Formats: sequence, structure tokens, C-alpha cells
Amino acid sequence: MITTPSDVREYRRDLKRALRNQFLGNTLETFASAFRISRARAFEGIDLPGLIGEIAEGKDASIQRLEELFQSFKTHAEAAGVKVHTARTALEANALIASIAAENGVKRIVKGKSMTAEETFLNDHLEKAGFQVTETDLGEWIIQLRGEGPSHMVMPAIHLSRKEVAELFTRVTGTPQDPENIDGMVKVARRELRQAYLEADMGITGANFAVADTGTIGLVTNEGNGRLVTTLPRVHVALVGFDKLVPDLPSALRILKALPRNATGQPISTYVTWITGATQCTTAPEGRKVMHIVFLDNGRLALARDPLFSQALRCIRCGACANVCPIYKLVGGHNYGHVYIGAIGLILTYFYHGRQNARAIVRACLNCQACKAVCPAGIDLPHLIKEVLRTVLETEGRKPAKNRLLARILPNRKLFHFLLRRAYLAQRPLTGGGEYIRHLPLFFSPEHQFRSLPAITGTPLRDRWHKMAPQVKDPSIRVALFGGCLVDFVYPEQAAAFLELVKDRNVQVEYPQDQTCCGLPAKMMGENTVAKAVAIQNLKAIDPADYDYIVTLCASCGSHIRENYPKLLGDSSGFGVKMHQFMDKIIDFSSFLANVLKVEPAMFREGGPKAAYHAPCHLCRGLGVTQEPRELIGTAGMEYAPAKDEDVCCGFGGSFSLEFPELSAELLTRKLDCVEAAGADLLVTDCPGCVLQLRGGMDRREGKKIPVKHIAEALAEQKRANGRRSG
Amino acid sequence: MESTIRTVEIMREKALAVQTVFTTVAGLREAFSYAVELTGSQGGKTLAAPGLGGEDRRELAALCEQRGISLVWENLRGHLGRIHTGFTVAQWGIAETGTVVLDSTSEDVRIASMLSETHIAVVPRSAVKPGAVDLAGELQEMMKRPGSYVAFISGASRTADIERVLTIGVHGPQEFHILISGENGG
Ligand code: SF4
Ligand code: SF4
Repeated sequence: MITTPSDVREYRRDLKRALRNQFLGNTLETFASAFRISRARAFEGIDLPGLIGEIAEGKDASIQRLEELFQSFKTHAEAAGVKVHTARTALEANALIASIAAENGVKRIVKGKSMTAEETFLNDHLEKAGFQVTETDLGEWIIQLRGEGPSHMVMPAIHLSRKEVAELFTRVTGTPQDPENIDGMVKVARRELRQAYLEADMGITGANFAVADTGTIGLVTNEGNGRLVTTLPRVHVALVGFDKLVPDLPSALRILKALPRNATGQPISTYVTWITGATQCTTAPEGRKVMHIVFLDNGRLALARDPLFSQALRCIRCGACANVCPIYKLVGGHNYGHVYIGAIGLILTYFYHGRQNARAIVRACLNCQACKAVCPAGIDLPHLIKEVLRTVLETEGRKPAKNRLLARILPNRKLFHFLLRRAYLAQRPLTGGGEYIRHLPLFFSPEHQFRSLPAITGTPLRDRWHKMAPQVKDPSIRVALFGGCLVDFVYPEQAAAFLELVKDRNVQVEYPQDQTCCGLPAKMMGENTVAKAVAIQNLKAIDPADYDYIVTLCASCGSHIRENYPKLLGDSSGFGVKMHQFMDKIIDFSSFLANVLKVEPAMFREGGPKAAYHAPCHLCRGLGVTQEPRELIGTAGMEYAPAKDEDVCCGFGGSFSLEFPELSAELLTRKLDCVEAAGADLLVTDCPGCVLQLRGGMDRREGKKIPVKHIAEALAEQKRANGRRSG
Repeated sequence: MESTIRTVEIMREKALAVQTVFTTVAGLREAFSYAVELTGSQGGKTLAAPGLGGEDRRELAALCEQRGISLVWENLRGHLGRIHTGFTVAQWGIAETGTVVLDSTSEDVRIASMLSETHIAVVPRSAVKPGAVDLAGELQEMMKRPGSYVAFISGASRTADIERVLTIGVHGPQEFHILISGENGG
């Protein structure tokens, strides 16, 4: 039986244990790197964004008419000799399948891999009812023998080493197995399972597709076990989620084009099987198989009617959102999902397995967007995860203290900023006057020591602005600077660097004083009301009509505004038009310098540090900016040192790093290792949040400490050096 | 014609990429010799050619006899566990994925292609299509028939479930051979 902690403290204990499992960490890391390459190769020559768009559109259309598609499927399948059932709940499905088995005098059952059957815990039910059930997919068989659930939706036993499998097989067969002989172990399974097929009276499968207009089910497997399960026994039951319905074959083929490529980097899985009705079966009474198809609702039909969460039904179970997830890579599927795993698992757990199982795991998301970028169905996974979190918090009505605090303070900008200024005074004994908080206050545990926290500045950007503001008479470009909390209150020098770079370019820069936090931290904590309130304040503070661009040095602010403001405010808020104009004018620092100012090498010193680059999640995926910062490094005379996993999250994730410090620390260590391995003597990035994390980690790191800078600071330094040389 | 040659070439590339053995033969007769030779060289004793009848069957039977191989063509359930080679004639090839489309509605075809050690599928050259979408109409017709079982086969049975090490032949055939039959342009 699968257990998932509902308590965050308990969950963190599990996470810590998982982090100590080196085999797991290495395996998932190697897998993620290999997957990235094989996936890219598999999609070569295919218009991937186009395909994702088509799949999403097709799925959405089907989701709107599931009941109609079901009726059509039922008519066609029944005409072909199948009995089609519906089960409203997991229990109903299990009981139905058990009664089909009983009616047909079944004793032994073989099973193909099915996440839907995992969802209903079908095996447990059938075994309790006295049937012998054998999983036939190798990975599923292994975890069945171990009494575990899958740790990945496509590769259920990925968490196990060859040694563990050898020990298991030794126990099962009674003959010692050599862990180095994987081929031999596969042959053991071949032998043992062959026997199970031959003896079975009934086969159970899931389905990847239920094709309505012919009543056909489609099964995708690599091992070929699905074919044997549907051929040898005299009874076949398919358990199919309503979400697997597609109108016709072309819709199924479109999904098939993406599924294996996105799951395992294969152009196609070895076997794709299409079954229409009761097929020939010479051992069945009338020479035809006894065939039943059970459609599982278990919340799907209600989900289909939800304007937001219906998206989750687009999922084609490729498992990729786990493969690329930095958290999954650290702790594996047994700690990152309940039955369903990875990003989609955090969402589906809430709907199919309940709040208790979802409430802790759903917090452990960095909002790094890696899952969203890889999803072939275009599901906005991070957004849905945050919405599940919000729903959970609202349902429970007892919000964490940090949520209550945030809700009180953040909407009141003056209070918020007053407190930040006070915090400067309060921290002084902790900083010893330096740039870091040297001693963490008591409410932080030792686990938070993995990085130094920066000191809050004595004079925030907003207070020094009148002295810094460039005076331009007849500007050719008018810019509003959107600071964000970190630039305003922690790193005003990043804004100063920006001003240095636009100097003499006839750019007027203003800092509208009523601007406040972009609201992302509130969104991350599921506090949408607060996020909406501050969004409106910002729209009131900055009238896009007054500016040509709204520049931000913070990728997180930029991407939050672009992506979430419309979700929070909608078009009916009265701010619709201004909001869209605001979104159209917001631009990140690197894009502004490279594409608007078109800075040239002549402005900078030639030669400089060897710079590695960290691609902030919210820049490379959130805003889709990847080329500009890398080019700027070269333009500014520095040598760009490519590092491994540049676009993998640094582990900051805002409040994530406070809630799950051990995960944050591990991600940070891996990131800094990559930077060091690149042989860089400078690390640049373009998000102050990442600067906070990376610089803080570097400060605590043993050995070589590589300076970390916002790319604006690095560029300003190169410009200054140029001035010195020519001056 | 030019395009058929190109399509078959793509199919070869894609098939080889998934460890499928890919060859061309002039016609069914050459395919028979290939199957019998292969079975013999692998030490196989039984060759299953479901649905093969008439003159074709006699011809294959004669070749089998010469090599001491027994030929079976029906009631294959009775031969479970003993079939070395499954010999089938497929309906289509899909070049972009190196796939063979095999109408497996007959149980015997399923057994021959799933429970053999080596599966050989013959695909008429003219039936090789660039992509699955080019076959959508034909496939739909096939699927409309009650009791139909259509298989896309792209390589030999494989797993990567133990430490992600690719291992061939977990449940189905350990080898998959595609024979494209017919002259160029034929
Ligand atoms: S946003 Fe990042 S951390 Fe969250 S589920 Fe997706 S990949 Fe994982
Ligand atoms: S949510 Fe998307 S990426 Fe994740 S399993 Fe489903 S289809 Fe694949």
C-alpha cells in the first residue's frame, strides 16, 4: 500500500532520507541528461510547438464532449461484441472487474501496465477477492514482487539498482542471480511470465486510446506484454479512464506522434495494437474472446467541466514532467507524487486520491516551469499546482503563519516598505555591517545555513532614486524601471549598473514610486487575492502610455506580470486594456540591451573574465529569452564558458527555499558544481533572486569562490574598464 | 517510382535504428528461402506460416523439409512454446518509424508474431508509405471490422526496466526481420 505523508514535517523527513540515496540521485540525474538528448533527437524535423498546439486543441475539444464520445464508442464496441461498462468510482471499477472474473470462472489473471489500475488499486482488490494477479510488464512485475507502487509512470522500477533486482529474483526463483547479467535477469522474467500467460484465464489492460468512431482501443507497449495479455487468456478486460476517449484514428495518431518521443525518446514504441471488439480466441467457448471495457470516471467527468482544471485531462501519461523536474530528480517518484507522479501527479493526487495525500507534496514545487516546457499536451502544470495548493489551503481554512502575515502586509505597500526599512535596522546585529546576514535569527533552523542571506540595504532604490535618476532633455526612449522587491531593497546596485549602461544613450528612466511587489510570492503561496491586489497597485502606479518600455532586471517579476496578471485579473477587471499594454511593454534587461539599445562591443573593454551563465527559469522558460544574455557576454568582451545544465533551476523558488531548505541546498550545490566544472571565473545571471541564491551559496562553499553578478553589473564593469582604458 | 525508392530507403534507416534486420527480396519465393535458411542457421526446428495455402505452402514445405524443419500453418495454439520462426505477410510498411502494419485478426497470426523467437514479416514494396497518416483511411477501414486486431510492429520486443539498460527480447520475439518484396518500382 502506498503511503504519502500529509504532514510537511514528516514529508521533509522522507525527503532527507531520499537525498541520502546516492543511487537514486545519480540514476535520475543521468536519466534526465540522456532524456534531454534523445527527446531532442526524436523530435528533429517536427514542428513541436505546432504539434503541442494541435494535441492540446484536440484534447480540449474531446474533453468538452466526453459523454458523447463515450456513447459513440459504446455503440461501436458493443456492435463488435464487447460489453462496455462505466464505473463512477474506483471501488465500483474494482468490484465490477472482480465480478466479471467471478462470472467467467477465472482464477488467474495477467495484467498489462496500466496507471488507471494503479489509481484504483485494482490488484489489491482482486487479490483480496481471491484471484491470483501477475503483472507482466517487467518493471511492474518487479515492483509487484516488492510490494511497492511505481516510482515513474513509464519506468515503474527506475528507483531500483541491478543489485536489488538480482536479490529479488534470487528470492523468487530460488537460484542465485548475477546482478551484472541484466540480460540473464530479463530472461528469468521471460520464463516466469511466459508460464503466467499460458495459465491465465483473464487478461487486464489499460488503454492509451479509446477511439470513439470505431470502438477501438489502442495499446502502446515496448515489451509486447500487452499483446500477449490480450491474446492468450479467454477473457479480456480493459480499464480505461474517460480521458482516453478520442473521436477518431487521426486524433490518436497525432498523440502517438508525440507520446513515445516524449516518453522515451523513441520515434515509436515497439508495439502499437488496435483492438476492435471481441477478437478470435480459440480457447474461448464460442471462439471469440469474452471482452469487457470499463470506463472509469472517478472524478474525471466533473474535472472535464471545470474551466481551469479540465486541462489536467489532456495528459497522455508520457512521464516527461517528472523526468525534467529538479525535485523529482533529487527524491524520485515515491516522494514526488502518490500514485501519479511528477508535476501532473501533484495535481491528480488531489483529485483522485484526496487532499490528505496531496497537501504536503503539492507545496514542493519551485515553479521552475521545466515541466510545462516539456509537456506535449501544453498543460500549464506549475499554474495548476499552485491552484491546487490554493484550493487545499482555502479548504483547510488554517493557513500557515507566513500566509497570514503576507496577506496582512503585502497589500499595504506603505506598511510593507516600512517593515522592510525596519528590517534593515533589526538585522544590523546579524550582519556585523557586512553584505550578508552572518548570524541567522533563531527562527531559522541550521538547515537554512546552506547559503548566506544578503543584508537589506540601508537606502532602498526608491529612496536614492532622486539622486540617481538620469537627466535627459529630449529622450528618444522613455523607460519605466520596474524594480521588484529584491532590486529595490537588497540590490539597488543592479539598478545603478543599468543606469550606467544606458547613460549617453538618450534614454530617460523613471522609477514610479507607487510600484510595489509584483505579487509572485503571493501567487507561489496560493494567495491569489493578495497577488491580485498588488497587481492592481502596479497597474495604477505605472501607466504604460507614459513609457516606451517597462524594463525589469528581475526575470521573475517580468514573467509573473506577463503570465499571471491576465490569469489573476482577467479582462473584466476594468484594467484589461492597461494590463495588456503593460504586458506588451515589459521587457527584461538583456533583451532591452541587446534588441532595443543594440549595444556594441566598442562600448566595452576587450577581454575580461571567463563567464558562466545561469539561465533563470523565469527568463528562459517564463519569458522565452535564451539568446540575448549569452550574446551580451560576448558583446561585452567576456569569454562565455558554457556549463552543464545552465537552464536547470538554482533551487531558489522564493519561499520554496525556506520551506524545503534541504532540497534547495542540494540543487544549489549541483548548480555550483557545474559552474566550477566549466572553469569560469565569474558567474552571471539575470534575476536578482538567482543572484541571492547563487551568491549566498558561493559564500558558504568550501574551496573556490567564484564571484556572482547580475549580468547588468558585469556589463557595467566591462564598460567602466573600457572607459578607464581609453580615458 | 523515385519516391518509392526513397521511402524504402527511409524505412531501412529507421528499421536499422531499432535493431530490425532489413532486407529486400525479389518475391515470396526468395522470402521463403530466407526464412528457412535463417531458421536452420539458428537451430530452429519449427516454422509457423499462418494462413499460407496452396502452391505457396507446398513450396515452403518442400524447402523446410530439406532443412529438417517442420512447417505449421494453422491451430498454432497447439504449438505454443515450440515455434522458432513466425513468418507473416504484412499489409503495409510505415517508413518514418520503420514500422510494419500487420493485420493480426487471426489468432494464428498473433501467435506466430508474438510467441516465436524470430519474427519475419514480408512487406510488398508498393505498400510502403511515408507516414502513418498516409494510411489513416486504410487503417480506419480495417478497424471498422468487428473483431479486428491491427498491430504496428517496430522492432523486437524490448525493455529498459532494469537500470535503463536496453535489453531485447523480454516477451515477444528476440529478432525482427523485415523483407521488402518486389522489384524496384514494382
Ligand atoms: S515547476 Fe519545476 S519544480 Fe514544479 S513540478 Fe514543474 S518541474 Fe517540478
Ligand atoms: S502532464 Fe504532460 S508531461 Fe506530464 S505526463 Fe502528462 S502529458 Fe506527459
